[in-house]
Parts: sequence; structure tokens; C-alpha cells
Amino acid sequence: MSGLSNIKSHIQTFLKEIGELSYFTARFFKESFRKPFEFKEFLRQCYSMGNRSLVLVGITGFIIGLVLTLQTRPTLMEFGAVSWMPSMVGISIIREIGPMITALVCAGRIGSGIGAELGSMRVTEQIDAMEVSGTNPFKYLVVTRVLATTFMIPLLVIIGDAIGLYGSYLVEHLKGDVSFQLYFNQVFESLEFGDIIPATIKSFFFGLAIGLVGCFKGYYCGKGTAGVGRAANSAVVFTSLLLFIIDFIAVFAADIFYDL
Amino acid sequence: MKESNTILPQGKVTGTQEIVLEIKNLNKSFGDNHVLKNFNMKLYKGENLVIMGKSGSGKSVMIKCLVGLIQADSGIISVMHKDITTLNQTALDILRSDIGFLFQGSALYDSMTVRENLEFPLRRHSSRFEKNMDTNTLVMEALENVGLAHAIDLMPAELSGGMQRRVALARTLILQPKIILYDEPTSGLDPITAKEIIILMQDIQKKYNTSSLIITHDVDCARAISDRMVLLIDGTNYAEGTFDALSVSTDPKVKAFFKH
Amino acid sequence: MNTNSQKIRLGLFVIIGTLFFVLGIYLIGQKQNMFKKTFMISAEFQNVNGLQKGNNVRYSGINIGTVKAIEMLNDSIVKVEMNIEENIVKHIRKNAVATIGSDGLVGNMIINILPRDGIAGVIENGDMIKSFSKVEPDDLLSNLSVTIKNTEILTEDLLRITNSINNGKGSLATILNDTVMSSNLNQTIKNIKQVSENASNTLIELNGLVKSIKTDDASILGLLLNDTISGNKLKITLGNLESSSVKMENSVEKLNTIIENVNSSDGAFNYIIKDTSLVNSLKSTLRNVNEGSDKFNQNMEALKHNFLTRGYFRKLEKEERKAKDN
Repeated sequence: MSGLSNIKSHIQTFLKEIGELSYFTARFFKESFRKPFEFKEFLRQCYSMGNRSLVLVGITGFIIGLVLTLQTRPTLMEFGAVSWMPSMVGISIIREIGPMITALVCAGRIGSGIGAELGSMRVTEQIDAMEVSGTNPFKYLVVTRVLATTFMIPLLVIIGDAIGLYGSYLVEHLKGDVSFQLYFNQVFESLEFGDIIPATIKSFFFGLAIGLVGCFKGYYCGKGTAGVGRAANSAVVFTSLLLFIIDFIAVFAADIFYDL
Repeated sequence: MKESNTILPQGKVTGTQEIVLEIKNLNKSFGDNHVLKNFNMKLYKGENLVIMGKSGSGKSVMIKCLVGLIQADSGIISVMHKDITTLNQTALDILRSDIGFLFQGSALYDSMTVRENLEFPLRRHSSRFEKNMDTNTLVMEALENVGLAHAIDLMPAELSGGMQRRVALARTLILQPKIILYDEPTSGLDPITAKEIIILMQDIQKKYNTSSLIITHDVDCARAISDRMVLLIDGTNYAEGTFDALSVSTDPKVKAFFKH
Repeated sequence: MNTNSQKIRLGLFVIIGTLFFVLGIYLIGQKQNMFKKTFMISAEFQNVNGLQKGNNVRYSGINIGTVKAIEMLNDSIVKVEMNIEENIVKHIRKNAVATIGSDGLVGNMIINILPRDGIAGVIENGDMIKSFSKVEPDDLLSNLSVTIKNTEILTEDLLRITNSINNGKGSLATILNDTVMSSNLNQTIKNIKQVSENASNTLIELNGLVKSIKTDDASILGLLLNDTISGNKLKITLGNLESSSVKMENSVEKLNTIIENVNSSDGAFNYIIKDTSLVNSLKSTLRNVNEGSDKFNQNMEALKHNFLTRGYFRKLEKEERKAKDN
């Protein structure tokens, strides 16, 4: 009996959260079109999110490219299809692995960062202080951050893709003596706009989700340091889940458009 | 339960009799917790009004209702003869520039330097000053008022608690508000630093002839600064009067405040 | 403060990211000939085998362009427009032939443009070149099918005649004297010969095709069939068909000489009638023809199950059924 009501309250909490997040998203879009635009803060956030994540994304991308190639090589060799390696790695990195890994890494780094930062600002009344001083904190804190993630994640994805492909090339170069030009010729031979465009559009949504959920969790942070921790934590968990859902929808949609 | 209309000696009123801030029948509840019940209060121009209450008695809620950070359930809050519950965001922002708010934990923006912290409120309200007025001059003047001109390029984390509070005070003063709301100005400070802050508050009051509303549970602070006091007990204005009058009250609930 | 260097680094980051993106887009676009001066040519096919916009066009194995548009002109003709790199155009002649093939084992469909012997001018913008599609072997097979049916009918005729000779329904003399009957027999044999020749010709063409499959790597079917088991199967089937046909032809020829003998020597009736060996030879010849025809049928059946031609036969069946229904 209590288990049933427990489930009910869990569902209610979940639905409430979704509702609040939707409202938050709507408010974001409304506020982002209203003047004044906090350009300086936007640039500052772009820097702290874009440049500061670069090393992390680069290393992850590089290792993924490396590992993917090393793992696939024996299987492809069995079929005598090692020459397909660039196409295979290229397509899988550009279409799926690059955006997803980058977004997950950024959800961990940026999403939790935003959650914790805004959370602690909420707890120490800095957000209230902004509101009282006549600056709309939603615009100043949320809009700039969400826009920054929305624009920086795709860039990070592209750079991560490039580094990942380079890692894959290194393996091929060392093991199969493939030249740089041949490798990338092969990669782009198999790629189409239908691969790179949906992946980029998807990355924008990834960025939006990371920013929105991070800000949402931080902005409505619970009381005290425990609240800040919870905000940072749930920002990452919820964002990661959302990323997979968005990925599913994106692939689904791209598939439909591909058929048209 | 004691009625809110308990007749107690009225405090003296300094300065003119103009009312700058008035609360009528303010109600606010969080869920089943009825925090404020028909709270009434008046702040006259140029006076220092201390509102005393136990922790969790709704002091902070009340003061946040005053600047629109928390929506009241019912009641009238008029600041400078304007009902803030009916104002739109723009009008509210303009009105807010006449109100200084010193937050409990200083609420300095910890990602910004002291200078940026002080410049922050000027971003939206620079129209209050002459166009050619240099923000640098304003920042320096505000910092000199609190004796911290040397700390201009430090980060808040590098300052002591007392210094942080003083910077926060400087930030509150930079817009030259007509009303200053202090939320626990001495909380978390050692008695000596607290005394310094109180002296600073008195200096400012003299210098700019502001009206101040001070929320505290610190009797020493109340004694030092109050012209008049309101005791907030059980969510309502239980008793009003000067410090001297209230401190000799025989009412047990009032007595509890002044007992050491 | 370091805000200036921050701005510079952010700018660098954004530029590098955008650069990579633009580079990627450019490289893909380049592969699809978006940024090169191109030249448009077209070809009409009856079947494009799943060719799509953007598929490569090759000339002598070099990628020279992409498929720009695929348009259905009417119920059986598909027009394919191709963008061709301008600098390669001077090598393509007007008599070049376009074929559709697949790239690798399970790769994309491609268009191969094959040069042909003979003199022809250089291709011009907007030209339409001939196509060579799988419809051709299909046509050959449909000819064969008709031939076989004819052979069957004729062989039956012959068999009936020889049977009546054998069973002695009336004397052979009567039969042979009966000019109608005689000319019938003559005509039948002539028909058989012609049919057999037809079949032979068709088979030679088919064989030529198969040989080109084996030898001419540039040929589309070559690309499609090389190394595949199905290709070999098809080849064997066709070989069988050919040998059956040769057998048939030999038989018919023998038959012909017999009949000619009968016809030419008026005084030979008795001789013929008495010479049982000749009758036997006639009989066995006819049996051979029959057998040949049977084998031919079997081979045709085998051809029907070959994946390449399966579609064609299915279509045939469908049409037959439709015809029946009407």
C-alpha cells in the first residue's frame, strides 16, 4: 500500500520536474529574445565552457578514435576489409560517437559546473542580490550560459571529431602504413552531408539540453550545501539521460528525413 | 495565543513623519507553514527601524516580500507610495534602485572582483547618474565610505567576513538608495567586527539620510542602532516601541528577547 | 586582467572549430562535385537498380562526377542526369555507354561510363549517351524462351509425323506421296532449322555477353558478376544452353538431309521404306531433337532461378497471369 503511494508520489515529482523544466525552457526562449543582451557575460561563459573543455574533449576524442580503430581492426582484418576502416570510423565518429561522447563529457564538466555554480549563488543569495540590483538574473546567468553551451558544444563536437579521426589515423598509420591524405580521402569519400548536418544539428540540441538542465537544477537549488551538491549531481544525471533521449529522437528524425 | 493588538508603548519617531514604506496585513505561507499572519509595519523617513524575531519567525521572508523576491499571498506592500505587488518588472526594477539590500551572507558575486561587484548594480541604473559620471569614481567613493579602497582588485574569497560585509554594504550604497534593508547585518561576525559594521551603518545613515529597516536577532545591534523596534513573534507584529521601552516590558514573550 | 587574452583564445577556439566544420563540409562537397565547374550529361535506363542522387559516376574507373537527378520519364524509362567534371569531358566520346553497377561487394550503386570503339566526337554539355543495362540480357533470354517454345511445338509435329510413319497408319508411300503431308514435313523441318538457328544466334550473343563479363572488367555486369557465385552459375547455365542448342542443330541438320534425300530421289521410295536403318536414324534424330529441347527447357528453368534473371521471369509470369485473367 505504501509502496503504491510511494510510486505515485515519485511519478508526481517526476512530472512536476518535467513541467517546471518546460516552463523554464519557455522562459529561456522568451528572455533570450528580449533586450538587453548580456554579451560580455556570454563571451565569458563561452570562454569558460569552450576553451576550458577543449583539453578534456580533445583527450576523450583522441582516445575514442584510437580505441575504436584498435578494437575494430582485427574483425575487419578477418574479412579482409581493413581498407574500410576510415569509412567505418569516420561515419561512426561523425554521426554518433563524436557528438555523444563530447556531450556526455561536457554534461559532466559543464552541466555539473553550472548546477553547482548557480546552486551556490542561489544559496548564498547572490541571485537575489542580482534581482534586487535591477539586473534580471535569469538573463544574466541562465540565458548567457544556455546560449554559450548551445553554441560551444557543436564546436567542441567538431573539434572532438577531428581529434578522434586523427587518433584513428595514427593507429592506421602505425599498423597499416596508411598516409594522412589517403586516410582522410577515404573518410570523406564515405561521408555525406546527410552524415554531418544532422550530427551538427543534434549537437546544438545537446548543448541546449546541457545548459538548460544545468541552469534549471542550479537556479532552483534546494537549501544549503546539500542542495548545491544535489543540484550538481542531478544536473549531470538528468542531462545524461536527456542526451540519450535527444539522440534517439534525432536519429529517428534523421532517418525519416533520409527516407524522404 | 496573544493578540497582535497588545497595547505597548509607542516608540519615538525621528525625522519627518513621511512614510516611505508600509506593510498592511501581509500573509505568507509555505505549504502548511503559515509564516506571516496579518503583519503590519510602517517605516518613516530617516528612521532606523529594527525588526527583531527568532530564527524562522519570518523576518527574512518579510523583507524579501518587500522587494518582490518572494510573492506575498495577500496584503499590501507600498514602497514610496507604490504598491509593489501591482508593478510590472520594469517599474519594479526602477523602484528597486531606490532600495538597498544588504544580504545576510553578504552575497558578493564570487566570480567577480570587488570592483566588478560594485560596478554590477550600475549596469542597469546608470541613468540615475549624469552620463559623464565615471563609474570608477563612484566605485572608489563607495569603497572609501567603507574604508576598503585598497581591496578593489581582490576577489571576494580573499576577503575576511567583515571585509566582505563592508564590500556588500558599499555595493548596497553605490546606487545611493533612499531606503536600505539590512538582513542580519551582524550575523556570522565577531562582536568587534559587528560593532564596526554598526558604526558604519550609523555613519551612512547620517551621511545620506537614508531610512533603514534592520532585521536582526542580535540585541546589541538593536540597542545600538534602533530608533524604533517591531517584535515579530508568531508571524505578526507582536509589539512595537523603542528599545528602552521594550526591554522593560513585562510581557513574557517580549522579555524572552532581552534576557541574557 | 587576462580578459583580453581570454577573448583571443576564445576567438581562436571558435575559428578553429568553424574551420574544421567548413573544411569538413567543403571536403564532402568536393567529393560530390559541388564546387567544381561541371558539365551535365544524361542517359536513359530502364532500370537503375537503386541508384541514388549523389552516387558516383566513373569513367575508366576514375570518379569523374555524381548523379544529379533521377527522373522517371514514362512507365519504363528512367532518365539519369550526371554532373561530370569539366576537365575530364574531353576524353569522353559521344558513343560512350553508361552502365549501372555497384561499387564493391555491398557498396553504393555507381554509373560506369565505358568508352566504345569507333570514331565519335567529344561529348557536349547536355548530351545524352547510350545506356547499356541489364535489360539486354533480359531481351536475349526472352528471345530464347520464344525459340524454345517454337522448337517444342515443331518437335511435337515431327514426332507425330514419324510416329504415324512408324505405326504404319497408311503406308509411308501414301504419306510421302501425299504432297500436303510431305510439304508439311518439309516446312516443319525448315522451321525447326530456323528456330534452331535463332536459338543459336541468341545463345552466341548471350555467350558473348558472358565472355565480356569474364574478360571486360570495365563492363558493368563484369563488376557486378565477377567473383560472385551467381555469375559462375549463370555462365554454366548458358554454356549448357549452348551445347543443347548445338545438339539440337545437329539433329535438325541430320533430319534435313534425310528429308532432302526423300524429296530429291523419286525412285528411292522403296529404298527408303526398306531401309529400316534410315527410319531408325530418323527416329533417333527426332529423339535427339526432343531431348535437346528438354535439356534446353531444363537449362531455361535453371536460368529462371538465377538471381539476376529471376526478376525478369517473374515479370513474365505476372504478365502471363494478367493475360489469362483478362
